[in-house]
Amino acid sequence: MTIYWVIAYFLVLALTLIYKTPIVQGPWLFLFRSFFPNWKFFHAVGYVPHLYARAALANPKAERTWTEWEHLYPRTSQSFWQLFHNPVTNLGLAQQNLIDHFWADLNDAPEGCDPRQFVSYQMVAHFVQGVLKHKYPEHSHTQFELRMLLDNASGNVHTHVMLTSPEEARL
Amino acid sequence: MTVDWSTPFVLSLPLAIRSLELLFALSVGIQTLEFWRLRPAMQNDGLWVWAIQRKDIPTPWIRLSLDVLFTPKMFNVLLLSRLLALISMAAQGSNLLNVSFLFVSNLAMLVRWRGAFNGGSDFMTLVVLTGLLIAQVANYFTTSDMAWRAGFWYITIQSITSYFMSGSVKLLKPEWRNGSAMIIFLNASIHGPLRADHWLRKPWVAVVGSWSLILWEGAAPLALLDAKLAVVFCIIAALFHFLVFWFFGLNRFFWAWISTFPAIIWCAGQI
Repeated sequence: MTIYWVIAYFLVLALTLIYKTPIVQGPWLFLFRSFFPNWKFFHAVGYVPHLYARAALANPKAERTWTEWEHLYPRTSQSFWQLFHNPVTNLGLAQQNLIDHFWADLNDAPEGCDPRQFVSYQMVAHFVQGVLKHKYPEHSHTQFELRMLLDNASGNVHTHVMLTSPEEARL
Repeated sequence: MTVDWSTPFVLSLPLAIRSLELLFALSVGIQTLEFWRLRPAMQNDGLWVWAIQRKDIPTPWIRLSLDVLFTPKMFNVLLLSRLLALISMAAQGSNLLNVSFLFVSNLAMLVRWRGAFNGGSDFMTLVVLTGLLIAQVANYFTTSDMAWRAGFWYITIQSITSYFMSGSVKLLKPEWRNGSAMIIFLNASIHGPLRADHWLRKPWVAVVGSWSLILWEGAAPLALLDAKLAVVFCIIAALFHFLVFWFFGLNRFFWAWISTFPAIIWCAGQI
C-alpha cells in the first residue's frame, strides 16, 4: 500500500513543475523559509547580481579621487579538510546569498521606492564600508553598484548596472 | 565477491536510528563550530551585524527579546549549549529534551542569519531535526516503532523530493540539456573559474555530466523500491555531494544530506 502513496506523491510533485502557484510573502515567512524548501538548486541560467565598490581618497583641496571599481566576489582555494571545517568559504557563500536577496528586494520593489530602506541595502552598504575601510584606511567616501552579469560557457557576454548607490561619507 | 540481490535486505530500526543520530550530530556539530569561528563577522565591521538585521523583525517584543539573545555573550552561550545537546545526542541518543532544544535554538539561528545561512543545507538540517521531533513527540501517543516510522518517512520523502525536484527542474532548462549550464555554474563557483584547458570544459564531458545528473536525480524515487537499491543510490549520492563540495565549497550540503541516508535505506526496506 505504501508504494502507491509514494507513487501518488511523486506524480503530484511532477504536476507542480508544470502548474505554478501564487507566491506567498511576509517577513516571518522570509525568516522561516527553511520550512518550505523548493529544492531547486543551480537550475536557472541568466543574469546574476554582482557587487562592485569603490573608495574616494580626499586630496588637500578636498577633491575626491576615486579608485577603480572593484568586484567584491568571494573566491577561496580548495582543500580536502574544508569538508570538516570551512568557515571562510561558507561566509563567502553567505555574502553572495545576501547579494541575491538584495537583488530580489530591488526587483520586487515598486517604482520610485527608495532602496535605502531595505535591510539588505543597509547590510550591503555596511559590508562595503567594512571592506573598503580595511583596504583603504584613508578613504573618505564609498560607493557601490549592483551589476547584472550574463555569462555563457566562454565568459561574460553582457553586463548592465541595476543600481548605483549615492556617494556615502565614511562612518 | 558478488552482491546477493535475491535475499531481502532490511536495515534494523535501532541501527538506523543510531546512524542517523550520529550523522546528524556530526553535521550540526560541524556547522556550530563554523559559527563559532564566524563570530567576528557578526560584530563591528562584519557583514552580519544584528544592529541592522534586527529591523527584519516585525514584532517589537520579539525584536527586544532577540536583542538580548543575540548579544555576543548570549550568542556564545547559545552555541555552546547547542554543542552540549549534540554531544548528548551522540553519546546517549535523542530524547525530547535535546531534540526540542536543538529545534528551538535552530529557529533562533535561522533568524540570526536572515532565514538561512547556507540555503539548502539549512533546509535539510531542519528537515532531519523536524523528523527527530516528530519521532519524539509521537512517542507519547503511539508505540516507539510507529513514532520512528513517522519521523523517518518525513525525512525520506523530503530528501528524495530534493533530488527529484532538483533533477526535474534541470530537465526543463535547455542550458542544462546542452551542458552549458554546468560550465557556467562551475565558472561562477567560489573556487572558480575553471582553467581554460580544464577537462570539464570539454562540451561532450559537460553534456554527459549534465544528463547523468538529470537522470540520476530524477530517478531518485526508484531508490525506495528496494533497500539494496537505496544503498547503491546513497553511495552515488555521497560521491555526488563530495564533488559538489569539491567544486562549489558546499561542505555543509555533504553532511546535511548524508545524515538522511539511514532513513532512506530503512524506509526502502519497509515497502
